[in-house]
Amino acid sequence: MKYIKILSILLLIYTASAGILFDVPRLPILNETIRILYFHVPMWFTMIFLLFLSSFNAYRFISTKDIRYDLKSYIYANVGVYFGILGILTGMIWANYTWGTFWTNDPKLNGSAIGLLIYFGYFILRNSVDDESKKGKISSVYNVFAFSMLIPLIFILPRLTDSLHPGNGGNPGFNVYDLNSQLRIVFYPAVIGFICLGLWIADIKLKIQKINNN
Amino acid sequence: MINKILSILYKDFKIEINQSHLFFSVGLYVISSIYIIYISYQPTGILSSEHWVSIFWVIILFSSISAVSKSFFQESGNRNYYYYYVLSPDELIISKLIYNFLFIVFVTFLTFILFTFLLGNFIQSYTFFISLLLIGSLSISNCLTLISAIGHQVKNNSMLISILSFPVIIPILILLIKLSKISSSEFSWNLIQDDIYLLILLNIILVVLTKVLFSFLWRN
Repeated sequence: MKYIKILSILLLIYTASAGILFDVPRLPILNETIRILYFHVPMWFTMIFLLFLSSFNAYRFISTKDIRYDLKSYIYANVGVYFGILGILTGMIWANYTWGTFWTNDPKLNGSAIGLLIYFGYFILRNSVDDESKKGKISSVYNVFAFSMLIPLIFILPRLTDSLHPGNGGNPGFNVYDLNSQLRIVFYPAVIGFICLGLWIADIKLKIQKINNN
Repeated sequence: MINKILSILYKDFKIEINQSHLFFSVGLYVISSIYIIYISYQPTGILSSEHWVSIFWVIILFSSISAVSKSFFQESGNRNYYYYYVLSPDELIISKLIYNFLFIVFVTFLTFILFTFLLGNFIQSYTFFISLLLIGSLSISNCLTLISAIGHQVKNNSMLISILSFPVIIPILILLIKLSKISSSEFSWNLIQDDIYLLILLNIILVVLTKVLFSFLWRN
């Protein structure tokens, strides 16, 4: 955990400074807003990573009945949803400058909004059961089920339709910059940095929860 | 195993016939909601196929949620204990899946007939649309059965079942609406190929997950 914290701090300092200072390719319409890549996209990577951990722990809970895994699964889902909300907010700010509106009917936007609705449903389900062991069992089952529906929603459906979002339907996306490694030298560290930050927050929340339980 | 599944199905149908008010209440739900739409579109009727398709699937969604959500509630507490000794969870969930599928097929075709009768229809390719209705009913039943099993274990459940099922069912609904829009205009296999494959893939995932997860859910 100690190394994750140090790595997170170093990489995020690097991301924040290099992301704003380094040279970026000039593309029509995108212009300087291309720097959102360093902050918006890592949010989704972190969200998916944390939600994967959450559903993995949920599966471990229903197969071993160890209450620690249930707590972990809940905390990871919680932090993952925070990152999802941040991803939507940063995306909205970016969309306002490039598309001229905060929200459009776009498969990627719909997918991410519905994905968050799934997890809000998960929190409501958790709070509506009183019995502690039953709570863990029911919400873990829903967690695994919902995560497997999130995958087609976020990764498969947007690829089947045209979209305004960069990376879809002929719009410039990440793969266009294959020749240009300027973006990559900041983007990959940013992803790792934010994932480490997510793990760190989850760790702190886990400790708080354990103290409260005692 | 097949014998047991068939006997649960037989028992479910007997209960359904004895308590026919549940069955008819779902039918009435469909009829009244379609009638409201018929009245609200009154002077002109539905003019575009997009309205037709989206209202059609929304009505099917709501009525199948109310149809499926009762599938686990008609079991009393004592009968559940009895099942616990006699059946394996797989047998129970497969019979429930088949039963819900048949029920949703009934709801879907009732909706389709009433829509054609009251609001006209825009369908170009009937064979494709009817097979789409069957696949759609199958996917909706696969999606809702586990959710209704979850809701069965929670108090205050009718609200919860709809909250939990809406987001999960949306990927399927998006595909179904897209496919029905295609079937109401020019239809060709090239246009629908990818979506049909994805729908079949989702169904396989849903059935496998339902089967695996229900065994955890049922063990009390």
